[in-house]
Amino acid sequence: MPKRVAIVGAGMQKYEFRKEQTVEEMVFDVARNALENSHLSKDDIDSVVFGSAVDAFCGINNSDKVAIDASGGLLKPTMRNSTSGSTAISTPILGYTHVASGMHDLVMVLCYEKMSENDSAQAVFNTVYDEAFVRPIGLNVPIQCGLEARAYLHKYGITERQMAKVSVKNRGNALSNPYAQLPMKLTVEDVLASPYLSWPVKLLDTSPVTDGARALILASEDVARELTDDPIWIKGVGRGADSVWFMGRQNKDLGKLDYAYLAVFFFQAKAGIRDPMAEIDYAEVYDPFTYKEMQHCEAMGLCSEGGAGRMIDEGISLKDGPLPVNASGGLQGEGNPIGAGMSRLCWCYLQAKGQAGACQVPKDVNNAVANGWGGMYQYNAVMVIGRD
Amino acid sequence: MAKKKAVLSIDGEIQINYKWSVGKAGDRFFTELRDHKKIMGTKCRQCGRVLVPPRIFCEECFVEDMEWVEVEPRGTLLTFGESYFSTDGKRLKEPWMLGIVRLKGSDGGLIHLISESRPEDLKIGMPVEAVFKNKPEGNIMDILYFRPANN
Ligand SMILES: [Zn+2]
Repeated sequence: MPKRVAIVGAGMQKYEFRKEQTVEEMVFDVARNALENSHLSKDDIDSVVFGSAVDAFCGINNSDKVAIDASGGLLKPTMRNSTSGSTAISTPILGYTHVASGMHDLVMVLCYEKMSENDSAQAVFNTVYDEAFVRPIGLNVPIQCGLEARAYLHKYGITERQMAKVSVKNRGNALSNPYAQLPMKLTVEDVLASPYLSWPVKLLDTSPVTDGARALILASEDVARELTDDPIWIKGVGRGADSVWFMGRQNKDLGKLDYAYLAVFFFQAKAGIRDPMAEIDYAEVYDPFTYKEMQHCEAMGLCSEGGAGRMIDEGISLKDGPLPVNASGGLQGEGNPIGAGMSRLCWCYLQAKGQAGACQVPKDVNNAVANGWGGMYQYNAVMVIGRD
Repeated sequence: MAKKKAVLSIDGEIQINYKWSVGKAGDRFFTELRDHKKIMGTKCRQCGRVLVPPRIFCEECFVEDMEWVEVEPRGTLLTFGESYFSTDGKRLKEPWMLGIVRLKGSDGGLIHLISESRPEDLKIGMPVEAVFKNKPEGNIMDILYFRPANN
């Protein structure tokens, strides 16, 4: 049986394009912030787990090496995790296993990404594709999203207008987030009028290129109870990965993400959640593109399959709605430093603790869920946290 | 508000050339494509699935028990996308198009360029066919593109 694990602190900083801090300085910034917020010193931490997606973004291989000193990890057991965008949640899952196994009592999870110092993030993304069969075709992220979004809209009758409403919601929510890179007050018409990258994905359906870092501190049950009267537990984790050959996967239509549903099946089983729509109070959903928030809401059971359009039409996922999604602004409004998308989980924690400031939703948050997505559009990682 | 002074930066570049093995399965696939304009897949003798792109093993049965089969140079358009940007990020006047094609006789398919059509001519589920290069070289661009076909 895994031991219980709680989140006891988060470290935040502003997300920006062309951040002046180096990777090392960003890591130090959030590590110190997380220690201060949890009233711990670096010597209390047993182990540090790092996450970042692709070193080619920052152009420095093994970029985690500088995070050792800067996280307070000197001469401690440290390791780095990397599963592209889903690093955002697979890294805290790795930290969770360090504590749930009984190996360590206090583990820092530190995710960072410096994306904006290369001259083409798209050229970096292109190096992820298969070298013999896919890369020569010239596939890039916008057109791959077009392929996937077209299949999704075709399968479920979702509209561009419904996608646009997600952008308006998330960028609007970011106006309350002091760490946000791209807060914007938009109308649906603004989004619909922005240029197409690849139908149905438009410029304002996407997230920006971002530098930034986040930290979380995880504690064993005994230590968590010493630190706080109100621990926020990790109640369930799940991961699912499909084949990178997206032209011949088990889910033949590309509109429904079998691997994402699978990840959720695992976390629901572990967290004992039967009816996410009734039992989840708050969600931070991985939204690099508007339609991805919609697909992930469906996969996580936050709405019915094919029901994400209705969910946004009816205002269910608005900040003051019955099941708010991305009140922080999400990746669209806060910024999308791939591996440091762990911010989604940080905001779930802050919402549960009532520490989300102007982003706080007007309801009690006892159960919250966050996901991370990436790899070759085939890896989903999910974590649900909350009170007993 | 006065703009604060930016910290210094230094310029750098990483330029490394590679020579990638296409592997045992890729060698047969690209050789047949170059020499005979044939699209080949590997069929798992246990579950019967035909893999394109081919592999020397079946990931579901987890065995290396495959035979080579020819698949048809035509199939069904599963989805498609047009892009108004080149892959190096330049804005384009005319879009270019990619599609995912489920090849007839296989359980997989190829992602490839779609041409001789405009986005409004394309529909999910329509038949498409491969157009081959005249002087093939043994790589995936020996298929120039797919185009709409008659049923
Ligand atoms: Zn098989």
